[in-house]
Amino acid sequence: MKNFYNSLNFKKVLCITFFLFLSFQFLTFKAYSDNIKNSEVIVLKMIADAKKHAQKTIKLSPKERSLKIEILIKQFINLDFMARATTGSFWKKATNTQKETYKNALLKQIVITIEEHLNTLATLSYKPLKSEARGKKLVYVKGIIKDDSKKIPDVNLLWKLAKDKKGNFLVLDLEIEGISLISSHKAETMSILRKNKGNFNALLDTYTKSD
Amino acid sequence: MKKLKSRFSYSLILLFVLSGCSNNLNNSAESTDPFEGLNRNIFAFNKSLDQNILSPVSTAYVKTIPHSVRNSISNHLGWMNTPSTIVNSTLQMDLENTILASAKFMINGLSLGFYDFDNNETKIPKKDLGSTLAKLNVPEGPFLMVPFLGPKTVRDFTGTLSDRQNLSSISSNSVNNLSLLEVPVNLVDKRSKLAKNIENIYESPDPYTKMKSYYIQNRRKNVYGDKYFEIKNSKSDLEFEKLLQ
Repeated sequence: MKNFYNSLNFKKVLCITFFLFLSFQFLTFKAYSDNIKNSEVIVLKMIADAKKHAQKTIKLSPKERSLKIEILIKQFINLDFMARATTGSFWKKATNTQKETYKNALLKQIVITIEEHLNTLATLSYKPLKSEARGKKLVYVKGIIKDDSKKIPDVNLLWKLAKDKKGNFLVLDLEIEGISLISSHKAETMSILRKNKGNFNALLDTYTKSD
Repeated sequence: MKKLKSRFSYSLILLFVLSGCSNNLNNSAESTDPFEGLNRNIFAFNKSLDQNILSPVSTAYVKTIPHSVRNSISNHLGWMNTPSTIVNSTLQMDLENTILASAKFMINGLSLGFYDFDNNETKIPKKDLGSTLAKLNVPEGPFLMVPFLGPKTVRDFTGTLSDRQNLSSISSNSVNNLSLLEVPVNLVDKRSKLAKNIENIYESPDPYTKMKSYYIQNRRKNVYGDKYFEIKNSKSDLEFEKLLQ
Protein backbone atom coordinates (compact mmCIF):
# COMPACT_ATOMS: atom_id res chain seq x y z
CA MET A 1 0.00 0.00 0.00
CA LYS A 2 2.84 2.37 0.90
CA ASN A 3 4.52 1.55 -2.36
CA PHE A 4 1.31 2.38 -4.21
CA TYR A 5 1.14 5.87 -2.57
CA ASN A 6 4.78 6.44 -3.22
CA SER A 7 4.34 5.60 -6.90
CA LEU A 8 1.22 7.85 -7.10
CA ASN A 9 3.16 10.80 -5.68
CA PHE A 10 5.99 10.11 -8.02
CA LYS A 11 3.57 10.10 -10.97
CA LYS A 12 2.09 13.42 -9.79
CA VAL A 13 5.50 15.01 -9.46
CA LEU A 14 6.43 13.70 -12.90
CA CYS A 15 3.22 15.08 -14.43
CA ILE A 16 3.64 18.50 -12.78
CA THR A 17 7.28 18.70 -13.87
CA PHE A 18 6.33 17.75 -17.41
CA PHE A 19 3.51 20.33 -17.41
CA LEU A 20 5.84 23.04 -16.08
CA PHE A 21 8.45 22.12 -18.68
CA LEU A 22 5.87 22.38 -21.48
CA SER A 23 4.58 25.73 -20.18
CA PHE A 24 8.13 27.06 -19.94
CA GLN A 25 8.89 25.91 -23.49
CA PHE A 26 5.66 27.47 -24.75
CA LEU A 27 6.34 30.79 -22.99
CA THR A 28 9.93 30.89 -24.24
CA PHE A 29 8.81 30.14 -27.78
CA LYS A 30 6.09 32.79 -27.52
CA ALA A 31 8.60 35.33 -26.18
CA TYR A 32 11.00 34.60 -29.06
CA SER A 33 8.28 34.85 -31.70
CA ASP A 34 6.99 38.08 -30.10
CA ASN A 35 10.52 39.48 -30.20
CA ILE A 36 10.84 38.62 -33.90
CA LYS A 37 7.43 40.14 -34.68
CA ASN A 38 8.18 43.35 -32.75
CA SER A 39 11.56 43.72 -34.43
CA GLU A 40 10.04 43.28 -37.89
CA VAL A 41 7.39 45.89 -37.09
CA ILE A 42 10.08 48.36 -35.96
CA VAL A 43 12.09 47.92 -39.19
CA LEU A 44 9.00 48.31 -41.38
CA LYS A 45 7.88 51.39 -39.42
CA MET A 46 11.34 52.93 -39.70
CA ILE A 47 11.44 52.49 -43.48
CA ALA A 48 7.88 53.80 -43.92
CA ASP A 49 8.67 56.83 -41.74
CA ALA A 50 11.90 57.52 -43.65
CA LYS A 51 10.03 57.41 -46.98
CA LYS A 52 7.33 59.76 -45.66
CA HIS A 53 10.02 62.01 -44.24
CA ALA A 54 11.87 62.14 -47.60
CA GLN A 55 8.74 63.40 -49.33
CA LYS A 56 7.68 65.83 -46.58
CA THR A 57 11.04 67.53 -46.02
CA ILE A 58 12.09 67.96 -49.65
CA LYS A 59 11.35 71.72 -49.56
CA LEU A 60 13.12 72.39 -46.25
CA SER A 61 16.61 73.87 -45.93
CA PRO A 62 19.45 71.29 -45.52
CA LYS A 63 19.89 72.26 -41.85
CA GLU A 64 16.22 71.85 -41.00
CA ARG A 65 16.09 68.59 -42.92
CA SER A 66 19.09 67.20 -41.00
CA LEU A 67 17.46 68.16 -37.71
CA LYS A 68 14.26 66.33 -38.64
CA ILE A 69 16.19 63.21 -39.68
CA GLU A 70 18.09 63.32 -36.40
CA ILE A 71 14.82 63.28 -34.43
CA LEU A 72 13.49 60.43 -36.57
CA ILE A 73 16.64 58.31 -36.29
CA LYS A 74 16.91 58.72 -32.51
CA GLN A 75 13.58 56.88 -32.11
CA PHE A 76 14.87 53.74 -33.80
CA ILE A 77 18.57 53.32 -32.93
CA ASN A 78 20.35 52.46 -29.71
CA LEU A 79 22.92 55.25 -29.89
CA ASP A 80 24.41 54.47 -26.49
CA PHE A 81 25.11 50.88 -27.55
CA MET A 82 26.57 51.96 -30.90
CA ALA A 83 28.92 54.42 -29.18
CA ARG A 84 30.17 51.71 -26.79
CA ALA A 85 30.46 49.09 -29.54
CA THR A 86 32.54 51.32 -31.79
CA THR A 87 35.05 52.44 -29.17
CA GLY A 88 35.76 49.10 -27.45
CA SER A 89 37.72 49.24 -24.20
CA PHE A 90 38.47 52.97 -24.67
CA TRP A 91 34.83 53.84 -23.83
CA LYS A 92 35.37 53.23 -20.12
CA LYS A 93 38.32 55.62 -20.00
CA ALA A 94 36.37 58.51 -21.57
CA THR A 95 34.79 61.24 -19.42
CA ASN A 96 31.03 61.85 -19.50
CA THR A 97 31.46 65.00 -21.60
CA GLN A 98 33.67 63.13 -24.09
CA LYS A 99 31.10 60.33 -24.27
CA GLU A 100 28.28 62.76 -25.03
CA THR A 101 30.34 64.62 -27.65
CA TYR A 102 31.26 61.32 -29.30
CA LYS A 103 27.61 60.20 -29.35
CA ASN A 104 26.60 63.45 -31.06
CA ALA A 105 29.41 63.06 -33.61
CA LEU A 106 28.35 59.47 -34.30
CA LEU A 107 24.72 60.52 -34.74
CA LYS A 108 25.84 63.22 -37.16
CA GLN A 109 27.73 60.61 -39.21
CA ILE A 110 24.63 58.38 -39.34
CA VAL A 111 22.45 61.33 -40.36
CA ILE A 112 24.89 62.26 -43.18
CA THR A 113 24.86 58.66 -44.46
CA ILE A 114 21.05 58.53 -44.41
CA GLU A 115 20.69 61.95 -46.05
CA GLU A 116 22.80 60.75 -48.99
CA HIS A 117 20.41 57.89 -49.68
CA LEU A 118 17.11 59.48 -48.63
CA ASN A 119 16.11 60.85 -52.03
CA THR A 120 16.71 57.55 -53.80
CA LEU A 121 14.73 55.67 -51.12
CA ALA A 122 11.42 57.09 -52.38
CA THR A 123 11.73 55.23 -55.68
CA LEU A 124 12.77 51.89 -54.11
CA SER A 125 10.71 49.17 -52.45
CA TYR A 126 11.61 47.17 -49.33
CA LYS A 127 10.73 43.49 -49.12
CA PRO A 128 11.12 41.74 -45.73
CA LEU A 129 12.83 38.33 -45.80
CA LYS A 130 13.48 35.76 -43.05
CA SER A 131 13.99 36.93 -39.44
CA GLU A 132 15.60 34.94 -36.63
CA ALA A 133 16.22 35.14 -32.90
CA ARG A 134 19.93 34.95 -32.02
CA GLY A 135 20.65 34.02 -28.43
CA LYS A 136 18.56 35.49 -25.64
CA LYS A 137 18.50 39.12 -26.69
CA LEU A 138 19.30 39.62 -30.34
CA VAL A 139 17.01 39.47 -33.34
CA TYR A 140 18.17 39.51 -36.97
CA VAL A 141 15.73 41.00 -39.47
CA LYS A 142 16.62 40.40 -43.11
CA GLY A 143 15.27 42.31 -46.07
CA ILE A 144 15.99 43.35 -49.59
CA ILE A 145 15.77 46.71 -51.33
CA LYS A 146 14.54 46.50 -54.90
CA ASP A 147 14.47 49.03 -57.68
CA ASP A 148 11.47 48.29 -59.90
CA SER A 149 13.04 50.14 -62.82
CA LYS A 150 16.09 47.81 -62.42
CA LYS A 151 18.54 50.73 -62.69
CA ILE A 152 20.03 49.82 -59.30
CA PRO A 153 20.84 46.18 -58.41
CA ASP A 154 19.07 44.58 -55.42
CA VAL A 155 20.61 45.38 -52.02
CA ASN A 156 20.51 42.84 -49.19
CA LEU A 157 20.05 44.27 -45.70
CA LEU A 158 20.40 42.73 -42.26
CA TRP A 159 19.20 44.64 -39.20
CA LYS A 160 20.37 43.61 -35.75
CA LEU A 161 17.96 44.59 -32.99
CA ALA A 162 17.61 44.12 -29.23
CA LYS A 163 15.43 45.45 -26.42
CA ASP A 164 16.71 48.48 -24.53
CA LYS A 165 16.26 49.03 -20.78
CA LYS A 166 12.74 50.39 -21.34
CA GLY A 167 11.74 47.28 -23.30
CA ASN A 168 11.67 48.93 -26.76
CA PHE A 169 13.30 47.19 -29.69
CA LEU A 170 16.06 49.35 -31.18
CA VAL A 171 18.53 48.89 -34.03
CA LEU A 172 22.09 48.00 -32.95
CA ASP A 173 23.72 47.44 -36.33
CA LEU A 174 22.94 47.36 -40.03
CA GLU A 175 24.71 45.16 -42.56
CA ILE A 176 24.47 46.32 -46.17
CA GLU A 177 25.48 43.52 -48.55
CA GLY A 178 27.39 41.90 -45.71
CA ILE A 179 29.23 45.06 -44.67
CA SER A 180 28.56 45.83 -41.02
CA LEU A 181 28.40 49.53 -40.24
CA ILE A 182 29.45 48.92 -36.63
CA SER A 183 32.49 46.83 -37.71
CA SER A 184 33.73 49.39 -40.22
CA HIS A 185 33.13 52.30 -37.85
CA LYS A 186 34.85 50.43 -35.02
CA ALA A 187 37.89 49.71 -37.23
CA GLU A 188 38.11 53.41 -37.96
CA THR A 189 37.75 54.72 -34.38
CA MET A 190 40.09 52.07 -32.94
CA SER A 191 42.75 52.95 -35.50
CA ILE A 192 42.53 56.66 -34.55
CA LEU A 193 42.47 55.91 -30.80
CA ARG A 194 45.43 53.50 -30.97
CA LYS A 195 47.45 55.97 -33.00
CA ASN A 196 46.78 58.65 -30.36
CA LYS A 197 47.42 56.32 -27.41
CA GLY A 198 43.78 56.25 -26.35
CA ASN A 199 43.35 60.02 -26.31
CA PHE A 200 39.60 60.50 -26.76
CA ASN A 201 39.95 64.21 -27.52
CA ALA A 202 42.11 63.35 -30.53
CA LEU A 203 39.29 61.15 -31.82
CA LEU A 204 36.76 63.94 -31.31
CA ASP A 205 39.09 66.37 -33.12
CA THR A 206 39.15 64.17 -36.23
CA TYR A 207 35.34 64.31 -36.29
CA THR A 208 35.25 68.09 -36.09
CA LYS A 209 37.94 68.26 -38.81
CA SER A 210 35.99 65.95 -41.13
CA ASP A 211 32.85 68.11 -40.64
CA MET B 1 53.51 27.81 -73.26
CA LYS B 2 56.89 28.33 -71.58
CA LYS B 3 56.01 31.98 -71.05
CA LEU B 4 52.69 31.00 -69.45
CA LYS B 5 54.36 28.55 -67.09
CA SER B 6 57.03 31.03 -65.99
CA ARG B 7 54.45 33.78 -65.36
CA PHE B 8 52.27 31.47 -63.34
CA SER B 9 55.19 30.22 -61.27
CA TYR B 10 56.34 33.82 -60.61
CA SER B 11 52.86 34.64 -59.36
CA LEU B 12 52.82 31.65 -57.04
CA ILE B 13 56.29 32.47 -55.70
CA LEU B 14 55.15 36.04 -55.05
CA LEU B 15 52.06 34.75 -53.26
CA PHE B 16 53.92 32.41 -50.95
CA VAL B 17 56.72 34.86 -50.19
CA LEU B 18 54.35 37.69 -49.36
CA SER B 19 51.81 35.67 -47.44
CA GLY B 20 54.54 33.88 -45.50
CA CYS B 21 53.83 36.04 -42.48
CA SER B 22 50.10 35.69 -42.91
CA ASN B 23 47.29 34.01 -41.11
CA ASN B 24 43.80 32.49 -41.41
CA LEU B 25 40.28 33.98 -41.45
CA ASN B 26 40.01 34.45 -37.70
CA ASN B 27 43.28 36.31 -37.29
CA SER B 28 43.31 38.36 -40.37
CA ALA B 29 44.29 41.17 -42.71
CA GLU B 30 41.76 43.35 -40.87
CA SER B 31 43.61 43.38 -37.57
CA THR B 32 47.21 43.25 -38.81
CA ASP B 33 48.60 45.69 -41.34
CA PRO B 34 52.40 45.33 -41.67
CA PHE B 35 52.56 47.62 -44.72
CA GLU B 36 50.35 50.35 -43.23
CA GLY B 37 52.78 53.24 -43.82
CA LEU B 38 53.37 52.34 -47.47
CA ASN B 39 49.67 51.53 -47.98
CA ARG B 40 48.62 54.95 -46.66
CA ASN B 41 51.00 56.70 -49.08
CA ILE B 42 49.65 54.70 -52.01
CA PHE B 43 46.09 55.42 -50.82
CA ALA B 44 46.86 59.17 -50.87
CA PHE B 45 48.28 58.79 -54.40
CA ASN B 46 45.24 56.82 -55.60
CA LYS B 47 42.90 59.33 -53.95
CA SER B 48 44.47 62.33 -55.70
CA LEU B 49 44.43 60.43 -59.00
CA ASP B 50 40.78 59.59 -58.42
CA GLN B 51 39.72 63.10 -57.44
CA ASN B 52 41.64 64.81 -60.26
CA ILE B 53 41.09 62.43 -63.15
CA LEU B 54 38.78 59.49 -62.55
CA SER B 55 35.99 61.27 -60.68
CA PRO B 56 35.50 64.12 -63.22
CA VAL B 57 35.67 61.63 -66.12
CA SER B 58 33.13 59.28 -64.51
CA THR B 59 30.81 62.21 -63.68
CA ALA B 60 30.96 63.32 -67.31
CA TYR B 61 30.41 59.69 -68.39
CA VAL B 62 27.22 59.47 -66.31
CA LYS B 63 25.97 62.88 -67.49
CA THR B 64 26.61 62.45 -71.21
CA ILE B 65 26.01 58.75 -71.84
CA PRO B 66 22.43 57.45 -71.47
CA HIS B 67 21.73 54.77 -68.86
CA SER B 68 20.89 52.10 -71.46
CA VAL B 69 24.26 52.58 -73.22
CA ARG B 70 26.14 52.50 -69.90
CA ASN B 71 24.28 49.35 -69.04
CA SER B 72 25.36 47.74 -72.33
CA ILE B 73 28.98 48.69 -71.67
CA SER B 74 28.75 47.19 -68.16
CA ASN B 75 27.25 44.01 -69.61
CA HIS B 76 30.07 43.74 -72.15
CA LEU B 77 32.77 44.26 -69.50
CA GLY B 78 31.16 41.61 -67.32
CA TRP B 79 30.95 39.24 -70.29
CA MET B 80 34.67 39.72 -71.03
CA ASN B 81 35.45 38.50 -67.51
CA THR B 82 33.20 35.42 -67.67
CA PRO B 83 35.96 33.02 -68.92
CA SER B 84 37.78 33.63 -65.62
CA THR B 85 34.58 32.69 -63.72
CA ILE B 86 34.16 29.54 -65.84
CA VAL B 87 37.77 28.38 -65.30
CA ASN B 88 37.76 29.13 -61.57
CA SER B 89 34.31 27.62 -60.96
CA THR B 90 35.64 24.43 -62.58
CA LEU B 91 38.75 24.53 -60.40
CA GLN B 92 36.51 25.02 -57.34
CA MET B 93 34.33 22.03 -58.43
CA ASP B 94 31.31 24.35 -58.57
CA LEU B 95 29.54 22.54 -61.41
CA GLU B 96 26.35 24.62 -61.26
CA ASN B 97 28.25 27.90 -61.60
CA THR B 98 30.41 26.49 -64.42
CA ILE B 99 27.38 25.42 -66.44
CA LEU B 100 25.43 28.63 -65.81
CA ALA B 101 28.40 30.90 -66.58
CA SER B 102 29.27 28.92 -69.75
CA ALA B 103 25.66 29.03 -70.98
CA LYS B 104 25.37 32.74 -70.30
CA PHE B 105 28.74 33.41 -71.96
CA MET B 106 27.72 31.57 -75.13
CA ILE B 107 24.22 33.06 -75.37
CA ASN B 108 25.31 36.64 -74.65
CA GLY B 109 28.27 36.09 -76.99
CA LEU B 110 25.79 36.53 -79.87
CA SER B 111 25.84 40.26 -79.06
CA LEU B 112 29.48 40.28 -77.84
CA GLY B 113 28.01 40.60 -74.37
CA PHE B 114 26.53 44.05 -74.97
CA TYR B 115 23.00 42.74 -74.54
CA ASP B 116 22.07 40.48 -71.62
CA PHE B 117 19.49 38.03 -72.99
CA ASP B 118 18.82 36.83 -69.45
CA ASN B 119 18.08 40.40 -68.26
CA ASN B 120 20.29 39.80 -65.18
CA GLU B 121 17.74 37.35 -63.77
CA THR B 122 20.27 34.55 -63.13
CA LYS B 123 22.75 35.54 -60.47
CA ILE B 124 26.14 34.02 -61.25
CA PRO B 125 28.74 34.70 -58.53
CA LYS B 126 32.03 35.94 -60.00
CA LYS B 127 34.98 33.63 -59.33
CA ASP B 128 38.64 34.52 -59.74
CA LEU B 129 41.92 32.87 -58.88
CA GLY B 130 41.87 34.66 -55.51
CA SER B 131 38.68 32.82 -54.55
CA THR B 132 40.10 29.52 -55.87
CA LEU B 133 43.18 30.00 -53.68
CA ALA B 134 40.87 30.75 -50.72
CA LYS B 135 39.03 27.45 -51.36
CA LEU B 136 42.44 25.74 -51.24
CA ASN B 137 42.92 27.28 -47.77
CA VAL B 138 45.66 29.66 -48.91
CA PRO B 139 45.68 32.45 -46.28
CA GLU B 140 44.56 35.89 -47.45
CA GLY B 141 47.82 37.50 -46.31
CA PRO B 142 48.36 41.13 -45.37
CA PHE B 143 46.32 43.98 -46.78
CA LEU B 144 47.79 45.84 -49.77
CA MET B 145 46.90 49.14 -51.37
CA VAL B 146 47.92 48.77 -55.01
CA PRO B 147 48.61 51.84 -57.19
CA PHE B 148 45.79 52.33 -59.74
CA LEU B 149 44.04 49.09 -58.71
CA GLY B 150 43.10 50.04 -55.14
CA PRO B 151 42.59 47.72 -52.14
CA LYS B 152 43.60 44.04 -52.30
CA THR B 153 45.01 41.33 -50.07
CA VAL B 154 48.20 39.53 -51.10
CA ARG B 155 46.21 36.46 -52.12
CA ASP B 156 43.70 38.41 -54.17
CA PHE B 157 46.36 40.57 -55.82
CA THR B 158 48.25 37.44 -56.88
CA GLY B 159 44.98 36.02 -58.16
CA THR B 160 44.21 39.17 -60.16
CA LEU B 161 47.68 39.19 -61.75
CA SER B 162 47.58 35.50 -62.60
CA ASP B 163 44.04 35.70 -64.00
CA ARG B 164 45.02 38.56 -66.30
CA GLN B 165 48.31 36.98 -67.42
CA ASN B 166 46.83 33.53 -67.98
CA LEU B 167 43.91 34.85 -70.02
CA SER B 168 46.20 37.05 -72.12
CA SER B 169 48.47 34.04 -72.79
CA ILE B 170 45.52 31.98 -74.00
CA SER B 171 43.72 34.64 -76.10
CA SER B 172 44.78 36.13 -79.44
CA ASN B 173 46.62 39.45 -79.89
CA SER B 174 43.54 41.35 -81.07
CA VAL B 175 41.58 40.24 -77.99
CA ASN B 176 44.52 41.29 -75.80
CA ASN B 177 44.61 44.74 -77.38
CA LEU B 178 40.86 45.08 -76.91
CA SER B 179 41.05 44.09 -73.23
CA LEU B 180 43.88 46.62 -72.70
CA LEU B 181 41.65 49.30 -74.19
CA GLU B 182 38.89 48.23 -71.87
CA VAL B 183 40.90 48.75 -68.66
CA PRO B 184 40.24 52.52 -68.45
CA VAL B 185 36.60 52.03 -69.52
CA ASN B 186 36.21 49.44 -66.79
CA LEU B 187 37.70 51.84 -64.23
CA VAL B 188 35.35 54.66 -65.24
CA ASP B 189 32.35 52.31 -65.26
CA LYS B 190 33.13 50.95 -61.78
CA ARG B 191 33.84 54.45 -60.44
CA SER B 192 30.48 55.72 -61.67
CA LYS B 193 28.67 52.85 -59.94
CA LEU B 194 30.50 53.30 -56.64
CA ALA B 195 30.48 57.13 -56.66
CA LYS B 196 28.33 57.53 -53.52
CA ASN B 197 30.28 54.93 -51.51
CA ILE B 198 33.63 56.45 -52.48
CA GLU B 199 32.49 59.96 -51.50
CA ASN B 200 31.21 58.53 -48.21
CA ILE B 201 34.65 56.98 -47.56
CA TYR B 202 36.50 60.23 -48.36
CA GLU B 203 34.29 62.17 -45.94
CA SER B 204 35.02 59.87 -42.99
CA PRO B 205 37.64 60.69 -40.30
CA ASP B 206 40.01 57.90 -41.41
CA PRO B 207 39.26 57.11 -45.07
CA TYR B 208 42.09 54.56 -45.43
CA THR B 209 40.84 52.36 -42.57
CA LYS B 210 37.25 52.67 -43.74
CA MET B 211 38.14 51.58 -47.27
CA LYS B 212 40.20 48.68 -45.91
CA SER B 213 37.33 47.52 -43.69
CA TYR B 214 34.74 47.79 -46.50
CA TYR B 215 37.00 45.93 -48.92
CA ILE B 216 37.86 43.06 -46.56
CA GLN B 217 34.25 42.52 -45.43
CA ASN B 218 32.95 42.60 -49.01
CA ARG B 219 35.69 40.35 -50.36
CA ARG B 220 35.18 37.74 -47.63
CA LYS B 221 31.44 37.75 -48.25
CA ASN B 222 32.06 37.05 -51.94
CA VAL B 223 34.71 34.39 -51.32
CA TYR B 224 33.38 32.48 -48.30
CA GLY B 225 29.62 33.27 -48.44
CA ASP B 226 27.49 31.79 -45.64
CA LYS B 227 30.49 30.24 -43.85
CA TYR B 228 31.99 33.70 -43.32
CA PHE B 229 28.66 35.12 -42.08
CA GLU B 230 28.31 32.35 -39.51
CA ILE B 231 31.82 32.90 -38.11
CA LYS B 232 31.50 36.68 -38.16
CA ASN B 233 28.02 36.81 -36.68
CA SER B 234 28.60 34.33 -33.87
CA LYS B 235 31.62 36.40 -32.85
CA SER B 236 29.70 39.69 -33.02
CA ASP B 237 26.67 38.15 -31.21
CA LEU B 238 28.87 37.38 -28.22
CA GLU B 239 30.29 40.91 -28.20
CA PHE B 240 26.82 42.45 -28.53
CA GLU B 241 25.35 40.31 -25.73
CA LYS B 242 28.21 41.32 -23.46
CA LEU B 243 27.63 45.01 -24.21
CA LEU B 244 23.87 44.68 -23.65
CA GLN B 245 24.31 43.35 -20.10
